[in-house]
Amino acid sequence: MLTCDYFNPLQIRGESMTEFEPKIVAFLCNWCAYAGADLAGVSRLQYPSNMRTIRVMCSGRIDPVFIIKALKGGCDGVMVGG
Amino acid sequence: MVQDKPKGSVMVVGGGITGMQTSLDLADSGFYVYLVEQSPAIGGSMAQLDKTFPTNDCSM
Amino acid sequence: MNIELLTLSKVTGIEGEEGNFKVFIKKSPRYVRMDKCIACGACAEKCPSKTPDEYNANLSNRKAIYVPYPQAVPLKYAIDADKCIYFKKGKCKACEKLCPTMAINFDDKEEDIILNVGSVVLTAGFQPFDTSKFDTYQYGKFPNVVTSLEFERILSAGGPAAGHVKRPSDKKVPSKIAWLQCVGSRDLNRCDNEYCSSVCCMYAIKESMIAKEHIGQGFEATIFYMDIRTHGKDFEKYYERAKKEGLRFIRSRVHTIAEADKTGTLKLAYVTDEGEKKEEDFDMVVLSVGMEPADSAVEAARKLDIALDDYKFVKTDSLSPVSTSRPGIYVAGVIQGCKDIPQSVVEASAAACSASISLAPARGSSVKEKVFPTENDVAGQDPRIGVFVCNCGVNIGGIADVPAIAEYARGLPSVAHVQENLFTCSQDTQEKMVELIKEHKLNRIVVAACTPRTHEPLFQETIQNAGLNPYLFEMANIRNQCTWCHSEEKERATDKAKDLVRMAVARVALLEPIPALSVGVNKSTLVLGGGVAGMTSAISLADQGFPVTIVEKSSALGGAAKEVSKTWDGKDVNAFVSGLCAKIENHPDIKVILNSEVVNAAGFVGNFETTIKTVEGTFTVNHGATIIATGGKAAETEEYLYGKNPKVTLWHDIEHDPERLKYANNIVFIQCVGSRDEARPYCSRICCTTSVMQAIFIKEQRPDANVFILYRDMRTYGEKEVLYKRAREKGVVFIRYARDNKPKVTEASDGSLSVEVFDPILQQNLLIKADILNLKTAIEPSINEQIASFYKVPLNEEKFFMEAHAKLRPVDFASDGLYVCGLAHYPKPIDESIEQAMAAAARAATVLSKPSIMVSPLVSQVNAEVCIGCGLCAEVCAFGAIVLEEVGAKGKRAKNIPASCKGCGLCAASCPQKAIDMLHFRHSQLEASICAVA
Repeated sequence: MLTCDYFNPLQIRGESMTEFEPKIVAFLCNWCAYAGADLAGVSRLQYPSNMRTIRVMCSGRIDPVFIIKALKGGCDGVMVGG
Repeated sequence: MVQDKPKGSVMVVGGGITGMQTSLDLADSGFYVYLVEQSPAIGGSMAQLDKTFPTNDCSM
Repeated sequence: MNIELLTLSKVTGIEGEEGNFKVFIKKSPRYVRMDKCIACGACAEKCPSKTPDEYNANLSNRKAIYVPYPQAVPLKYAIDADKCIYFKKGKCKACEKLCPTMAINFDDKEEDIILNVGSVVLTAGFQPFDTSKFDTYQYGKFPNVVTSLEFERILSAGGPAAGHVKRPSDKKVPSKIAWLQCVGSRDLNRCDNEYCSSVCCMYAIKESMIAKEHIGQGFEATIFYMDIRTHGKDFEKYYERAKKEGLRFIRSRVHTIAEADKTGTLKLAYVTDEGEKKEEDFDMVVLSVGMEPADSAVEAARKLDIALDDYKFVKTDSLSPVSTSRPGIYVAGVIQGCKDIPQSVVEASAAACSASISLAPARGSSVKEKVFPTENDVAGQDPRIGVFVCNCGVNIGGIADVPAIAEYARGLPSVAHVQENLFTCSQDTQEKMVELIKEHKLNRIVVAACTPRTHEPLFQETIQNAGLNPYLFEMANIRNQCTWCHSEEKERATDKAKDLVRMAVARVALLEPIPALSVGVNKSTLVLGGGVAGMTSAISLADQGFPVTIVEKSSALGGAAKEVSKTWDGKDVNAFVSGLCAKIENHPDIKVILNSEVVNAAGFVGNFETTIKTVEGTFTVNHGATIIATGGKAAETEEYLYGKNPKVTLWHDIEHDPERLKYANNIVFIQCVGSRDEARPYCSRICCTTSVMQAIFIKEQRPDANVFILYRDMRTYGEKEVLYKRAREKGVVFIRYARDNKPKVTEASDGSLSVEVFDPILQQNLLIKADILNLKTAIEPSINEQIASFYKVPLNEEKFFMEAHAKLRPVDFASDGLYVCGLAHYPKPIDESIEQAMAAAARAATVLSKPSIMVSPLVSQVNAEVCIGCGLCAEVCAFGAIVLEEVGAKGKRAKNIPASCKGCGLCAASCPQKAIDMLHFRHSQLEASICAVA
């Protein structure tokens, strides 16, 4: 069951994306996901501009505290790629 | 016959995965390497493979 | 820095001899200035001349000005003069007009270069078999018949179909694909390649598995084969998994391919094992093409004046597998013989080893080292941040508003200077950056440009030239991860770039100088195991002047090879092993400790400390590198009456009893005894070839004797296939059996043996009276658990040592300074053990040749005051880089070993006390970036 405490159902359905501009922090591993994001650029793949990358040497570096800090600090989503 | 003073450099012909590994090992152990490749870039056949067993790593 | 790339170059001749060659090179013009080209691609975008793209197996087009592929090294464009309109018609030059850096140079000329080198290594590779030689497979006639290399590109996300598998005729997603094996391999009738290409079975399985992943539900893959040859490490498990996932394997050679209908669907006709004729429709057919020596490689070999074998591979000898007919010239890779990637990488290192032995006295004489000015001490200074924003021609500046980003950066805290550059990476900009850093007394630098993965080292070097520590630097990736991906949303791209710059500035303000980290290196090596692998690696190192200690648990050197009489190409192994033993005993730099075992080990790369126990007591050896060559042996068995009837023998027993062989009329070999089953789900790799050799030997001595080989798949890979053919010509009977219908061996009351086996060709059971039964039991590793735990290196499920990377680091472990070779790694023939041992020596030499080694200083840092000694960090560390140390009354505390640390930060994230922090990726530094996002 979905609770609507944090998200508007329209946002979840993607129907009001024009108004909702989420800020997403992405922790990306230097050796794989970060390289993948670079390659997406080389291949000119287009995607929404909402992601802000923080490069780490390994996704194992991600302390759960970082994720909480990001969300508390006002980010709408956190992605860990590794 | 090996002369009193051999050269401290090596030529590697072919810039595929094998030539690259040979060059890296030689350069890392104190030799100067000339890597000769006929095409405009090194990489060889392995660069064309989609993924490799077992990790399905991209072969780049 | 000590590798000079000569692209577009060919060898045209050679003079001189080992130690001092003069090589003549012809370098074709690139027509693009390497120092100017920034690989922005503006030229190729507007180039009007299209030509098939070799990189994509000609499935798509490229331009006449091109880079072979997006990750190419060097990432510089080149003009293909044969395809360029200017060169053909005298006008166009569109690229010259568009190039923002004026890198195009139509006046570029061919160059003659002379190199003086001590050794040469030929690694010039293979070409796929030219399928159009075959009319059976209708390649080039039916669009849906493709080669395996073409299919590889179709599967690739970076390929012409972006990874969406579609068949060429009508772009329909295929739901049934057939792979046909041995196209251009194991075939003397239609091509001259009677050898096995060694790699096609495995790549066909891989391609079909990946195709299944891409296409999904309902996809059917069928592989038509003669023998499945998955003899590599962990390959058999993959084959079993493929069968479990529903891949169909049909043992048959397809004799006819026809088009079934107008859409391009193909009708394949074949005969099954049971002799039944069948026809079946497939959407696509992939031809598993074999490998041949590349024409260009053969040409290079001829220019180097080295001998080739019957198939134009470079001629070598299995006891010196990387040496050519000409001293000082070595060979590695497929031009030496068909092999897969890991074996090529092993051979590459082996060739490096051979090349270094003869040049050892000249080590270090031709290399260059970089010198930097002394570092400014920035301690106590407030941050003065310099921000350099790159336009990258139009790559960034054409999309994002660079002046606005620069203006924004000026307003950020602690920013003392902001500069816009057209190309921040150009040589003149580096010089300008050094001046600006000095002029504005900048002590932290941000470059907002492309990706740190390619450009961070360049800018770090630049700031070092200005007297700054290289870690006072951060990049904002506003090209690869911003403008290139948001090219339609200019405003948003600008906003994102501003955010990325703000994050970088927040982080760089907190960065600290980190001193370079180097550890001293003990020049000696400890080799565990005195078999062929251990002895070869020991001699390879000692001949370069690095002292070696060999620890051997038995009372003599020689190992498993003592049992073997000949290599597959007929070389005398006994003489070779005695030669190695004699050389070792007389070598001033090799010490052998027999009847000994390792009882403890500690330390890290350059500084290991191993405790050895002998009858005389225990003592410690200090060494800089460790080579594990603990070997393996043929397993015991209880199957097939072994140990109960004296006629049942194992492996080489048969060679050691010539008397019995003289009077035996029926000799039966059973393969895969204890290999490729539940307990040992791997192929022992050497058994097929050994039985085939023994069978040939028996037939040569006793042509009238009946020799039977009962096998599951005949795995005489590479040129060993020729032996299989010779055995069949001599009348050796090969009978295939299935794992679920093994031969049955029974003993009569007079002690005579009978073997009953189902012959799939005759479709009935055969009963063979066996005078000698020889079992090829599995090759299993020595007991390795203790050694693995002492050195903290992993074993696989079958207790073979597990290398750092199955393909690219086949002799290394994840921890530096530790290497593996020989049977301890996986079953392999002597030539491959020799190669791997030489490779391990070459890898060890990369450590031993330096007085100290630089390791990345981005390591963990333990605060012993906060640590409670729970040990979680030591447990999660994959590199053995954190240990628990007794600290008196307080109990245990974590201690990091910087030389072993890879900086992953798993320990820091796991520490419940937050007692561990990572240099350059401190909690505070990462949190600064996080706070700057919001």
